[in-house]
Amino acid sequence: MSDDVKTAVKEFILSEFLPGEDPAELTDSTPLISGGILDSIATLKVVLFIEEQFNVTFEAHEVDRENFDSIENIARLVGTKRPQDHDQARSSA
Amino acid sequence: MELAVPGSAAAPRTNGVKETGGISATRLLVVLAQLGLLMLVLRQFQIESAAFLRLSLLAFAGFALHAVLPLRYRLPFFLALSLAGIALVLGLEHGAWLVGIGLVLVGICHLPLAFGTRIALLLGVVTVLVAQRASLLPAPWSEAIWPILGSMFMFRLIIYLYDLRHETAPASPSRTLAYFFMLPNACFPLFPVIDYKTFRRNYFDEDAYKTYQTGVDWMVRGVVHLLLYRIVYYYFTLAPAEVHGPGDLAQYLLSNFLLYLRVSGQFHFIVGMLYLFGFRLPETHNKYFFASSFTDFWRRINIYWKDFMLKVFYYPAYFRLRRYGTTAALVLATLFVFLMTWFLHAYQWFWLRGTVLFVWQDILFWTILGALVVVNSLYEVKHGRERKLAATGWSWRAFSTVSLKTALTFTVICALWSFWTADSLDAWLSLWSAVGRGFAADHGASPFLLLVPIAIGAAAGAMAAGGGRKPRPGAKRAFGIREAVQPTVTLGLLLVVGIEGIYTQFGPTIATYIQPLRSGQLSRLDNAALDRGYYEDLLRVNRFNSQLWEVYSQKPKNFLDVNFGALKRHTGGFAGGELIPSFVASTEYGPVTINRWGMRDQDYERVPAPGTFRVALLGPSNVMGWGVGDGETFEALLEERLNRERGGAGPARYEILNFGVPGYRPPQQLVALEKALGFGPHAVFYVAVGREPSQSALHLAAIARAGTAIPYPELAAIVAKAGVAQGMEETEARRRLQPFHDDILAAVYGRIADECRRRGIVPVWIFLPQVREGTWQEETPQTVRAAEAAGFVIIDLGDVYQGQDLGAIRLAEWDQHPNARAHRLIAGRLYEELQAKRGAVFAGEGAAARAGGTATSRKE
Repeated sequence: MSDDVKTAVKEFILSEFLPGEDPAELTDSTPLISGGILDSIATLKVVLFIEEQFNVTFEAHEVDRENFDSIENIARLVGTKRPQDHDQARSSA
Repeated sequence: MELAVPGSAAAPRTNGVKETGGISATRLLVVLAQLGLLMLVLRQFQIESAAFLRLSLLAFAGFALHAVLPLRYRLPFFLALSLAGIALVLGLEHGAWLVGIGLVLVGICHLPLAFGTRIALLLGVVTVLVAQRASLLPAPWSEAIWPILGSMFMFRLIIYLYDLRHETAPASPSRTLAYFFMLPNACFPLFPVIDYKTFRRNYFDEDAYKTYQTGVDWMVRGVVHLLLYRIVYYYFTLAPAEVHGPGDLAQYLLSNFLLYLRVSGQFHFIVGMLYLFGFRLPETHNKYFFASSFTDFWRRINIYWKDFMLKVFYYPAYFRLRRYGTTAALVLATLFVFLMTWFLHAYQWFWLRGTVLFVWQDILFWTILGALVVVNSLYEVKHGRERKLAATGWSWRAFSTVSLKTALTFTVICALWSFWTADSLDAWLSLWSAVGRGFAADHGASPFLLLVPIAIGAAAGAMAAGGGRKPRPGAKRAFGIREAVQPTVTLGLLLVVGIEGIYTQFGPTIATYIQPLRSGQLSRLDNAALDRGYYEDLLRVNRFNSQLWEVYSQKPKNFLDVNFGALKRHTGGFAGGELIPSFVASTEYGPVTINRWGMRDQDYERVPAPGTFRVALLGPSNVMGWGVGDGETFEALLEERLNRERGGAGPARYEILNFGVPGYRPPQQLVALEKALGFGPHAVFYVAVGREPSQSALHLAAIARAGTAIPYPELAAIVAKAGVAQGMEETEARRRLQPFHDDILAAVYGRIADECRRRGIVPVWIFLPQVREGTWQEETPQTVRAAEAAGFVIIDLGDVYQGQDLGAIRLAEWDQHPNARAHRLIAGRLYEELQAKRGAVFAGEGAAARAGGTATSRKE
């Protein structure tokens, strides 16, 4: 469902903020904000990337620790904004 | 054994996280044992206040019950405990007012009205509260509740409304009320800005033992910060006027910044205590001394504030502005955050202290820090910053880069912090003249202090280079009983070090250093500021001496009904003012009557009647009898007893004329002496009350800066020699006079004694201690030497309060003048001393008696 989002976000984070790091160390549940990987500037870079890549728009109040603290959470948030993910989620439920 | 926690095993959460909460009996006992130790340490070192100790006891006892309650009852129980904490600290009546006002504010948030209408209603209520806080409208509740009410609602209401507007999940009443009235808040006007969403989301979302143990760790860390703060506060802080050389300057800059340990200590403790009740909140501070850039500093210090700013101001501003380009949006949003930070600090100040804060240092500090963060942010946007997922091998490059950046950041922040905390821009600029004076000018500070930033840089570099890395983010590790070892050992060590029988074994030097750490008394500088407050009738509180402010904040608005200023009139000249003749006031402590000569005394004729032995008593407010009624001053009591018990021999009558004037410092007593000499005294009693040398210098500095003529050649010569001139910045003037403190006092004492002897008057010097513990007596030895050198008859009342409960013999904690009981002690003891030294003091008795007559000059 949102694997494409997870993959893209992971690749973006690795290339943009963690060059040279072992990709295996960055899992879907690695804490990004509380782990010090994403600060406010980096979070906004991720926001811009996702908005451009997946044609979604975020609201300011959505950019917080709850939604952006892991790749998993980011993908879940993006999923609520993409109609195809939304539909898939409903049909699989 | 797992304790039964009904309904807790798999309670589903709206965010998908399951609440847990169960804990084995063994682990619970381990936590409770640490809390017991922590309580002993809090008591041993009198951490914060007596109210805080009571609150901690309530919290720890409450935890024992809370931890075994079914999960569904825990939040209501925490709320009940929080309300009990408010009542415990503020009392039932004040607590009820506070909760009542809070319920109105929270209630409006949930009215079934449009969001905009609710906001308008809230603004209306807040406007009324603002008017009451500013004393524009009367308030039926005590002043004492304002700082706590402010700390509970001034920021949390903003966050709560923000989340209320954007959240779909319903808010439960107990969670909402627990958020606003949360337990430790009743003791802390400065409280971390806790995010409501985090407060709600992280509730019991981890293993309960891990949560509790983390809480204990953080509270222990908080205690360590608070004790380190005390060490800095007592032993390292310097007044700007005490900065003479580069080493002094380094000590001044470092100690100013290190005083922030109190805030980080309190915040660690507060959040640690919340962990005991399942609120797994983020860290409030993260090794902020080790910041390697200004953005890093902003991210590490007061993290909750930074998160609050990001959520409510930065992201909304950025999203609105990004149509102008991401870089422009980033810059403008960052500047907006610093503008709001400045504004909200002034807003916070208003709620805590009731006055408007508008000082240039604040504005410039936030502007400079904002500009530095913007520049740093732009650099990071372009070049990024290094992040690591896992530990790597030692890297000299990483070590040297981070060390250098951290040392530079630390140095700039120290300098910027000193600017923020300075009394004025001129005072701050004058500090830097110390650089040019060389290390020879230092007063005891070690030049090695200049190496502290390098050491901090090296430590940060070592951590970044692989010497102390944490596990990778999110890495799971076993969490067991052994996690309790470090806090237990720390607490045990603190407990042992704090035992008097043990630390005195290490010799008097170590004991002298440890003893003050066991209490939250005022530092040398704050004590001096308190003293200065009495003399100048001002609250000498700047924005950062928070302990002194806490003392003053307990003072009722109309304490004593009348202040020093109302008793005095401005006369200009060297003395500056005098008591208003024939002034009568009624105070809470009885009548205050000033006679026609401007003495706080009965009426006397100018010339003593034949056979009268007359004493002129000189001194400040303690002598004048501040805070006691007419007839209760030690002067009045002593005079009455001397006459009552005089026997057949000696003079027909004793008269003691009280020339004490509140706020008079030693040089001003020269003016009082001139006045007293006109009343024909046989003896002059000069009462010294502590800090005589520095108080003398303060007066001379003020006089010289104002360009007032100094009518005493020896004092004028000292001022000229020190190079103090009209219009000079206060810190600079005080610094220049510092080497002359003893000379100034010697000149004052010498003149008083000489003038007396020249007229056949006996000069008597009486040392009267202050009614407080602490460092006020540090200048006493040189004061005694000066009095002896001047040739006074010395009467030392230094132990007059020995064995007394100081709290019971002074007016109040914020006004440490002797009360009526203390005046009785002084009168009794002074009477005995005078009898013991009768031959020397009453040398003129024979002459007075031979002058004959029993007529009294007293007008009854």
